[in-house]
Amino acid sequence: MNPIKLALTVLLLSVLAGCGPSEQTASPTEQAGSSPFKLSGDVKHIMQWVLDPAVDGVWDSAGSIITAAGTRELAPTTDEGWLAVEHSAAVVAASGNLLLMPGRAVDDEGWRNISQGLVEAGLLAQAAAKNQDSDALFDAGGQIYRVCKACHSVYVQGDEASDLL
Amino acid sequence: MSFKKIATVAGLALGSLVSAQSNAHHAFGAEFDANAPLTLRGDVIRIEWVNPHAWFHIEVTKEDGSKEAWRIEGGTPNTLLRRGINKRSIAIGTEILVDGYWAKDRTNSANGRNITLANGKKMFMGSSGTGAPEDGADTGR
Repeated sequence: MNPIKLALTVLLLSVLAGCGPSEQTASPTEQAGSSPFKLSGDVKHIMQWVLDPAVDGVWDSAGSIITAAGTRELAPTTDEGWLAVEHSAAVVAASGNLLLMPGRAVDDEGWRNISQGLVEAGLLAQAAAKNQDSDALFDAGGQIYRVCKACHSVYVQGDEASDLL
Repeated sequence: MSFKKIATVAGLALGSLVSAQSNAHHAFGAEFDANAPLTLRGDVIRIEWVNPHAWFHIEVTKEDGSKEAWRIEGGTPNTLLRRGINKRSIAIGTEILVDGYWAKDRTNSANGRNITLANGKKMFMGSSGTGAPEDGADTGR
């Protein structure tokens, strides 16, 4: 075997070894212990103090109120208003990554998919706000809710299930 | 029963005035009482077509002629759209019959399951997977 092929083979085997089951099954505590992150709150804190206020900022800025007096659209009417929604949406997206931090993830694939779904939905809302597109913002708000509901249906159980959604 | 403007609250007395909207993303069990089904008849006075849940406000005329406002939580706008209900499907002033569940705090708030129009057309207005009772109204969509 020539030296280049040998080097590539060694590199490939090293990568595969690094993806072994022992690392994939590390518990959240073990993950946190070996990572440079220092957790500043648990998942519930992220929900209540970071995600909830941010997602309210998105939801409260899209939709319609219809009465006998007419229809009032909730979308911002100023650049400053849209910027505030963009900010909220960015926090929603960032929250998905916060949930992926070692020490917060409660399992592998399912948690990762949902957290990444939250990032994607937040980015959709962020782009909609940046483009000042009220319809897209409304749709993105619906997408955020679907991710929330999917997550809670799997990971929020017992008495706490009635606290959310 | 004739289609008069009455409200029938199954086994329960009528509550107080509509409260300010509470936190919008609660599970059914956090805000509504599965053991307090109710039926309300009234005119639609306000529709909030918002995420995460649409809200339909109705004005109910009680037997003594007095009126009171109720707010009815529906499913997500996306869910309602899939069932053919949009923000213009029910015009302001339309009389509707609502089957649902009363709020735990006994304010004039309810989680809606079915809406029935004067022509008899019935529409499921709730959401799946919120923890609401499996009462047959939910088709699982």
